[in-house]
Amino acid sequence: MEVNIAGLRLKNPVMTASGTFGYGEEYSDYIDLNELGGIVVKGLSLKPRLGNPPPRIMETTGGMLNAVGLQNVGVDLFIEQKLPFLRSFDVAVIANIYGESEAEYAQVARALSRASGVHALEVNVSCPNVKKGGLSFGADPKAAASVTRRVRAETDLPVIVKLTPNVTDIAAVARAVEEAGADAVSLINTLTGLSVDLTTRGPHLKNITGGLSGPAIKPVALRMVWQVAQSVDIPVIGMGGILDAEDALEFMVVGATAVQVGTANFINPRATVEIIGGMEHYLKVHQIKDVREMIGTFNVA
Amino acid sequence: MAKDIYIGEVSENKEIRPDYYLMKVKLPLSFGNPLPGQFVMIRIAGLHDPFLSRPISIYSFERAKSALIIALLYRVVGKGTQILSGLIKGSQVEIHGPLGGGFEWPEQKKQVVFIAGGIGIAPLSLMAETLCRDACLPRESMTFYIGAQTAQSVIGLERLNDLCYNVHVCTDDGSLGRKGLVTGLFQKDIKKYPADATMVYACGPKGMVRALSKLFRGSAFQCQVSLEERMACATGACMGCVVAVRGEQGALAYKRVCADGPVFDLQQVIWDET
Ligand SMILES: Cc1cc2nc3c(=O)[nH]c(=O)nc-3n(C[C@H](O)[C@H](O)[C@H](O)COP(=O)(O)OP(=O)(O)OC[C@H]3O[C@@H](n4cnc5c(N)ncnc54)[C@H](O)[C@@H]3O)c2cc1C
Ligand SMILES: Cc1cc2nc3c(=O)[nH]c(=O)nc-3n(C[C@H](O)[C@H](O)[C@H](O)COP(=O)(O)O)c2cc1C
Ligand code: FES
Repeated sequence: MEVNIAGLRLKNPVMTASGTFGYGEEYSDYIDLNELGGIVVKGLSLKPRLGNPPPRIMETTGGMLNAVGLQNVGVDLFIEQKLPFLRSFDVAVIANIYGESEAEYAQVARALSRASGVHALEVNVSCPNVKKGGLSFGADPKAAASVTRRVRAETDLPVIVKLTPNVTDIAAVARAVEEAGADAVSLINTLTGLSVDLTTRGPHLKNITGGLSGPAIKPVALRMVWQVAQSVDIPVIGMGGILDAEDALEFMVVGATAVQVGTANFINPRATVEIIGGMEHYLKVHQIKDVREMIGTFNVA
Repeated sequence: MAKDIYIGEVSENKEIRPDYYLMKVKLPLSFGNPLPGQFVMIRIAGLHDPFLSRPISIYSFERAKSALIIALLYRVVGKGTQILSGLIKGSQVEIHGPLGGGFEWPEQKKQVVFIAGGIGIAPLSLMAETLCRDACLPRESMTFYIGAQTAQSVIGLERLNDLCYNVHVCTDDGSLGRKGLVTGLFQKDIKKYPADATMVYACGPKGMVRALSKLFRGSAFQCQVSLEERMACATGACMGCVVAVRGEQGALAYKRVCADGPVFDLQQVIWDET
């Protein structure tokens, strides 16, 4: 089940998606974190962030909208208080980073590269719920490439750039960050959406719009992973609405080397390990020796 | 007590008043005895619509020889609770819990006042029972104020009358007890209670909690309130269920109802934040 992402060895292709698994400890009562391929922690910024005012979430058909606004403890407290716990597990730890400016991305990357226990960086240029930074970098190939270059220059860790689906041509952004030195890309982040409260004729979320996640976005995510995998040579990490092992394997078939599981953790805290178990079972039943044999085998003939 | 996902079996689910249901769920003993104020996330096993689980307080529980049975009191307000109300005996539900911290009992307090609005009665009833039993509080020191829309939606009076010496009821339409709001009912009596020796426990709709917050502002009353927000993970991971409170040095902070609550010190809750 082992896969490799730019020198980052994962025991299996299943990671947690940023923002849906806290800092790992929130789920350690439910599953053995050692069983995971990797843990991607909540997006980290230079300073602690308050996040957006509530209500922040709303259920939608087959998914949910969120406008958390990157509430997080900040990179220093993360290193001091959250990282020691994660170091006690034999699991790849990937820090998801966010900045309001290129300089901030660089500073966060630098701090994490010095800390022991972080195995890769995932650069979030795709958060739809913050005013500054985030999506404004990810929606433009040039800006995304520029952030990637800055982070690349600050760290020896593998750099994964997380892409937004809120663009017309995601493959163009993927190619731009590949050229700028990204070791891998991950996609998709949430799709910008809106939920209307008919009784008040107002929005359900205080932030008005939010990011859509969950099974509702899976077909969009699969299409984008497929397009990106054909356009770049670096590994692609797929996500968006994965609920079970079949979903995860579909992403691998269209070209993902690994996957991330997000919203599924909310409805089942054991989702990740059940997906890993389900994938092993699938391989066994279909007599496939190595999960890597699944990658990019999409058959359009 | 271990937070986990349990498969529970519905042993009873009946409409006790129009739109109000009492569901009993049989769980393995490893679920443990829940604390008053704790809640569970409930969903129908194998069903993905509605997508998210629903938070419901624990109304009561009993330990049998081979199972722990929890009772949930809920009001049908939308799709999720509608579907729950249709479950029959023997149906399987997924129960995630017990979750959150419960109410606390500071022993130096002499008097207890409960203020419940509507379905807010659920967690408060379990707290009243626990204080009677475990803290051996006499009936005389416990007073319960209940507000509801109509006589039809006043629930569990018999249980409360056994536990508390005074149970005051009011309804919006005057069909039972006094006519008016529960906060008004309590306000008329407020002078009877020594502020610093009284513990107030409250749960109810936002309007009620907000009015209480105003009433207690600047006073010596301590009030623990159980708050409600929409939830997704209920493990503290998603940051979706936050409320605004005064954090360190009085600065605005967003705390998670699922993991930092659902019980908060009312004096710390911020209402007028922008
Ligand atoms: C800690 C906690 C304990 C709770 N305990 C109980 C209980 O013991 N009994 C009970 O009947 N209800 C309780 N609730 C409220 C209950 O969770 C909601 O009524 C339920 O989720 C509504 O689901 P629905 O699909 O039926 O309604 P929806 O269609 O989702 O919504 C219908 C209406 O209910 C409101 N609502 C939705 N979710 C919540 C929520 N989480 N909290 C408050 N209002 C909500 C919506 O704003 C809307 O007006 C509790 C909530 C929390 C957070
Ligand atoms: C509540 C919530 C918070 C999120 N926070 C972040 C974040 O901090 N950084 C990030 O890159 N992605 C964040 N995401 C996006 C997810 O990592 C993931 O890309 C998206 O939810 C799609 O996957 P899913 O459908 O499996 O959830 C968040 C998603 C949710 C639902
Ligand atoms: S519901 Fe996710 S943090 Fe409370």
